[in-house]
Amino acid sequence: MLSYVLFRIALIVPLLIGLSLLVFVIGRVLPGDPAALAAGPYATAEQRAAVAAEFGLDQPIAVQYWDYVTGLFEGDLGRSIMTRRPVAGDLALYLPATLELVAASLLLAVAVSIPLGLVAGLTANRAPDMTISAGTLSAMSMPQFFLGLVLQLIFAMWLSLLPLSGRLPFTVAPPPAVTGFYTIDSVLAGQWHTLWLSLVHLALPAITMALAPIAMITRIMRASTMEALQQDYVRNARALGLSIRLILFKYVLKNAASATLTMIGLYVGWMLGSTVLVEKVFDWPGIGLYATNAILNQDFNPVIAVTLVIGVIFIATNLIVDLLYGVLNPKVGDR
Amino acid sequence: MPNLTRRDLMAGTAAGAAAMTIGGRVALAQQPNTLIIGNQGAQTHFDPHGGQDYPTSVIIRNVYDGLVDVVGMPPRIEPRLATDWTVSGDGLVYTFNLNREAKFHDGAPVTAEAVRYSFERIKAVGRGNNWMIDGVVGPDSIRVVDDHTVEFTLLQPFAPFLQVLPWISVVNPAVIEANEGGDLGQTYLLNDTAGSGPFTVARFEPENVIDFRRDPTYWREGGGNTDTVIWRYVRENTNQRLMLRRGEIHMAVDLTSDDMSALEGAPGVVRVIEPGDRTFSIKMNTEHGPLSDVNLRKAVSHAFDYDAMRSVSGFADLMHGPLPSGFFGHDPSIDVPRKDLDRAREYLAQTAYPEGGLTLDIVHVVGLEQQRLWCLVLLDSLQELNIDVNIRPSTWPDMVRMCESPETFPDFFSVYLGVSYADPDVIAFAGYHSSRNGGWQNGVYNNAEVDALIEAARFEPDEARRAELYSQIQQNIVDDAPDLFGVVERAKVGLRDNVENYEFSPIIVQAVSFFPLSVS
Repeated sequence: MLSYVLFRIALIVPLLIGLSLLVFVIGRVLPGDPAALAAGPYATAEQRAAVAAEFGLDQPIAVQYWDYVTGLFEGDLGRSIMTRRPVAGDLALYLPATLELVAASLLLAVAVSIPLGLVAGLTANRAPDMTISAGTLSAMSMPQFFLGLVLQLIFAMWLSLLPLSGRLPFTVAPPPAVTGFYTIDSVLAGQWHTLWLSLVHLALPAITMALAPIAMITRIMRASTMEALQQDYVRNARALGLSIRLILFKYVLKNAASATLTMIGLYVGWMLGSTVLVEKVFDWPGIGLYATNAILNQDFNPVIAVTLVIGVIFIATNLIVDLLYGVLNPKVGDR
Repeated sequence: MPNLTRRDLMAGTAAGAAAMTIGGRVALAQQPNTLIIGNQGAQTHFDPHGGQDYPTSVIIRNVYDGLVDVVGMPPRIEPRLATDWTVSGDGLVYTFNLNREAKFHDGAPVTAEAVRYSFERIKAVGRGNNWMIDGVVGPDSIRVVDDHTVEFTLLQPFAPFLQVLPWISVVNPAVIEANEGGDLGQTYLLNDTAGSGPFTVARFEPENVIDFRRDPTYWREGGGNTDTVIWRYVRENTNQRLMLRRGEIHMAVDLTSDDMSALEGAPGVVRVIEPGDRTFSIKMNTEHGPLSDVNLRKAVSHAFDYDAMRSVSGFADLMHGPLPSGFFGHDPSIDVPRKDLDRAREYLAQTAYPEGGLTLDIVHVVGLEQQRLWCLVLLDSLQELNIDVNIRPSTWPDMVRMCESPETFPDFFSVYLGVSYADPDVIAFAGYHSSRNGGWQNGVYNNAEVDALIEAARFEPDEARRAELYSQIQQNIVDDAPDLFGVVERAKVGLRDNVENYEFSPIIVQAVSFFPLSVS
């Protein structure tokens, strides 16, 4: 078991090298002149060349890559050519915002979709299932940014129940930074009002992000439940007179959960990569917007750093998911 | 655990949120001297010499001081660090007397030496607004006469010199030197300040929020009652509009024409729509391809439907020639091309394509809907001449790259030019002088006679003679037809009606001067 975990962790290294190489090469073969862009419209040719030299863009691509990778081992993610800020510092600021949003929407998605899927599976092809399935179908076909705007319109503009955007009101200072999650940090600091404010600000973006996963996980959960219910061991348990509640929560749920778990693992990666629209609509200062701006400016270092960070989180999540399989299903754990 | 969060969120949605929102409003109302400005200027540093975007200008105007200030409409130069100044007859020597009250935020006096240090620093940094004094202020130009007198001997006469001075800030040499860090303090100024301006920075989250505080010991008399200004990055202009309408922000500086129309009659909202500082033109490839023929350029200029362009531009005015009207030097008497298909066909008959039948490319910034509309107007207009237009959306870095040479420059190139100081030189030099070739402001156009005139106008100290020179420049450029002269967008600012003492100035409109502002 331990050797398996170590093997999987070791596997991260070649994956990251491949990933960084890919992004590095794609970034540099694209047409465009980031140094000219960063130097500004009035820069002379010498000033543009100076910027290029400062950021190593005048070097052969192999040298640039080598410098980048050796920097990585010293924890140096480089600097942004546009803002000249160290990328590591920027990420420390923006990544927690995105992670908090992703975590909140994932928790929301799981909390809603597992019971829904279970109910739909139990009542397959009857009224509750029909309603839930129709709901999930329309939820899946709803574009995220549109949903965000509609929610803003209803809950912020018409009903004035929830804030329009941001992580906290403009005049409220964030809690002392420990994790960068405003919810956790305000608990740590004992600032209960700030906790409340940050939860209220999380609500709309988290719901917007959660809707598609809710729909998807509900459907998977429904299918898994239906499949599990038809297994021999369920019929057997029923014949033995076990209560439906016991069968459901002790056996069916556990077996149906593995497919759902896979989905959740995949959704972490998907969500991290797709927060940008939600971040824009709700003014959420996260890595999605940071990366988008960097891409538009051909600002390589932030782009590579964000890609690598998402890569690491994605790989780590899937490792955890794989290990959880073993818990759910001992047959898998034997490897 | 998941259920707990879910319950929290549901509770938030259902009940408590109502109290919350009201609570939020109360919190705003309880901070009477706080002004909140929504903007799209991603602030990433506090170096007044390190950038030329509008967030940098916000810092320049509010955290630092320049020798002089530019205010009002039409823009006028007023004393700031300098109480008064004299200019020698040949326009070469400027002598400034500094205000003896002026102090940096650490209490040190602003001296002539600090002024000299600051100009040396911006030249050494070589970025930001350095271009404004490039070739004008040399290594030995500045002489410290005494603690409160500084003398500039320019390399050559430069008529807009006073106009650029508001954008060259004076920094505190002691602070910079203590944090020099091998890069002239540039790393230090990513998160810290070294100014003498009316505001200091209490809290900063890059590309998110700055909490500005009025310096209670600021050396200038007067000013408004705002002691806190929250400069808040609001990425979507629609969100700026909604927040302004709800009273969550007091000012919105990036509103579009659609937003302005939507805000018409909104209670508590004041709309400011004034002559703007940004021109849009379509540049033509005068050096390579079919449009290197001036007759084809003139045919296109006379086929273009300017009225259609105006009508899709929202709050905007058609340009009359290359320089924006409303500024010194603009000559309204020049005959500029307007849609006239007969003349267009006459010009076309003199080209290699008398019957049309060619395809020309135009590029615009991908995602900028306004630019796409203008491209469609061009497409529609040129069909009359049997010329097809291929519209190519492109990313901005890619477009910058295209400007490298006439061969890579497209037939038509969409470009905005900003007026960054109150003088026609800024547009004439950036947009039409051949030294700018290879950059995006003027990729390819060059004409030695126009170059000479632009340089002469730059250095001419006599106003009447300058105006005459600009007249000639505009005439020559119109004769060359290097551009489809487009529109000047009106500046658009949204205010709540409890904001007082806001004075509009067309130079870098988004960089609001906080000093005089009050909230009632």
